[in-house]
Amino acid sequence: MTPAHTVAERGGTGRRGVLGTIGHTLRVIMRYPTGAFGLFLLALVVIVALIGPLISPYGPFDVVQTAQGRIARLVPPSSVALLGTTNQGNDVLSQLLYGTRVALMVGVISAIGSVVLGTLIGLVSGYFGGKVDEAIMRFTDVAFGIPFLPFALIVISVAGPSLPLVILLVTLFLWRTTSRVIRAQVLTLKTRPFVWAARAAGASEWRILFVHIAPNVLPLSFLYMAIGVQGGVMLEAALSFLGFGDPNVVSWGSMLNQSFRAGAMRSAWWWVIPPGVALSLFVISVFMVTRAYEELLNPRLRET
Amino acid sequence: MNNLRLYLLRRLALLLFVTAAVLTILFVMFKLLPGNPLSVFIDSNFSEEMIRRQKQLWGLDDPLWLQYVRYMWNMLTFNFGTSFFQMTPVRDIVVEKLLHTGAMIVPAVVLSVVLGTLLGSWLGWRRGSRQEGAVVIGLLALRSVPSFFVGIIVLMVFSYNLGWFPPGGMVSIGGHGDSFLGTILSLDFLYHLVLPCLVLMTREITSPALLLRSTMLEVKGSDFLDILRAKGLPERRIVMHATRNALLPLVTDVAVMMGFLFQGQVLLEIIFAWPGVGRELVTALNDLDYPVAQACFFVMALIILMFNFVADVLYAFIDPRVALS
Repeated sequence: MTPAHTVAERGGTGRRGVLGTIGHTLRVIMRYPTGAFGLFLLALVVIVALIGPLISPYGPFDVVQTAQGRIARLVPPSSVALLGTTNQGNDVLSQLLYGTRVALMVGVISAIGSVVLGTLIGLVSGYFGGKVDEAIMRFTDVAFGIPFLPFALIVISVAGPSLPLVILLVTLFLWRTTSRVIRAQVLTLKTRPFVWAARAAGASEWRILFVHIAPNVLPLSFLYMAIGVQGGVMLEAALSFLGFGDPNVVSWGSMLNQSFRAGAMRSAWWWVIPPGVALSLFVISVFMVTRAYEELLNPRLRET
Repeated sequence: MNNLRLYLLRRLALLLFVTAAVLTILFVMFKLLPGNPLSVFIDSNFSEEMIRRQKQLWGLDDPLWLQYVRYMWNMLTFNFGTSFFQMTPVRDIVVEKLLHTGAMIVPAVVLSVVLGTLLGSWLGWRRGSRQEGAVVIGLLALRSVPSFFVGIIVLMVFSYNLGWFPPGGMVSIGGHGDSFLGTILSLDFLYHLVLPCLVLMTREITSPALLLRSTMLEVKGSDFLDILRAKGLPERRIVMHATRNALLPLVTDVAVMMGFLFQGQVLLEIIFAWPGVGRELVTALNDLDYPVAQACFFVMALIILMFNFVADVLYAFIDPRVALS
């Protein structure tokens, strides 16, 4: 995949400014119906993640009581609990709202971490080539040889489950693809005339790498960051669903885990469907936005 | 040919290197375990002397390098020791579970590839139509929905509500055949296979379909098709010719897919209570049955590496230019 034109050929991002570029990108994404829909959903998720705890009727572990003062276990959706309750008498809607924040936090932090790591590794590996490249690529091969989910399960059972550990593991999983893609991009960029020109003008190697080449791979990094958010949310949900998530935090995955164990698939659909739908909608919305963005980066996609 | 041989050797060396590295990481991970791996065996009534004897028995007081060498040798010769709980050789357990996992994955991959190929070649040929756009978006959206949630929904609908299919497991209770072959050829097994296979397919059909669609677009423009057309072949025959040429990249894709599925199906095995290697890993970790957990992880990693190797090799044969670069 190659961007249609490099930043240097367009005359640099500088003219538009960072905010202008973001605004421009968003406007282009909005032009696609799916992109607009994705952005709308995504905005909704971000808002819920920010204000979720304020609007949620109960705390995630609060026990809801019926009018008679009994614990409201497995109550179907009603005015007391809009999405019903769990077998512990917790409010499903509240858990869902709190879980949104966890999902987004894991997704965003691990995506940023993995993209920074992957981009740096890809830049150095692709630009310097030779022994450095060889060593880094073999290291990447090893990283690709480790099956993520089994590896994460073992590490978590060794170190004990916690949210930071989950974020770290997801980051360690996501950087691999980014670094390979960025490296491939750098390999083609470093043969471009503007790099020769910079070298002829006496720029140091690091300056060429970070001032002249790095800005040209950034759009690609952003794409992989968006894909990383999607991957991070999915992986956290998968780990939590298997019961290896942080036991002190409510996430969509842990809700699915609890409801699955309690056999709610048979008896309490309102406990199973909301976290699953939230997860799916979130993932699909990120997918739609990234797809529109990808077409912006690579006009060839529009033709084929 | 010389180039090809060199390429294959390099790939083989890489396979060995990565396998050794993954094994070493696994060793370090289990060494970092807090407490004693024997804690399962030792309770508070044991005297110091008994604990020391146990450690000696399991070779835990040998120098670290000796433990490492012994571990590497045992793993590479598939000598995984004895399960802490089932008291049977771990190798037997792992082989059985791998077969079970394969029994779910192989049919799903075969069906996905066949149906995906047909769908993809149709999509490529109908390029630009309204249906084509809708199907592509649908496929991509379907792939991004987490498959374990798809599995849960499918179970809720087709098993719990409609009662058409069993709610999980590989065979009915008491319905075990005499042999693995006897089991997978039984109707009972097929009945249990339908739902997990369907869920896997919703995900796996995307990649062959999209791959074939894009290669079809390339092939569609090639000259040999014009020649076939000039010969007066009907359009249907021409599509077949084009498909055959578009199939090549699919071969490597399938190898990668197989390898990936051997680790990716963990969630589905849990949901469908399928007694495969992923479910065994989760159970072993919950039971602190470390020899089993270790072996499960190792065979999953090994299978992925092997399939990637196969993909590289096949690719070099299909497209000799790869070996040259």
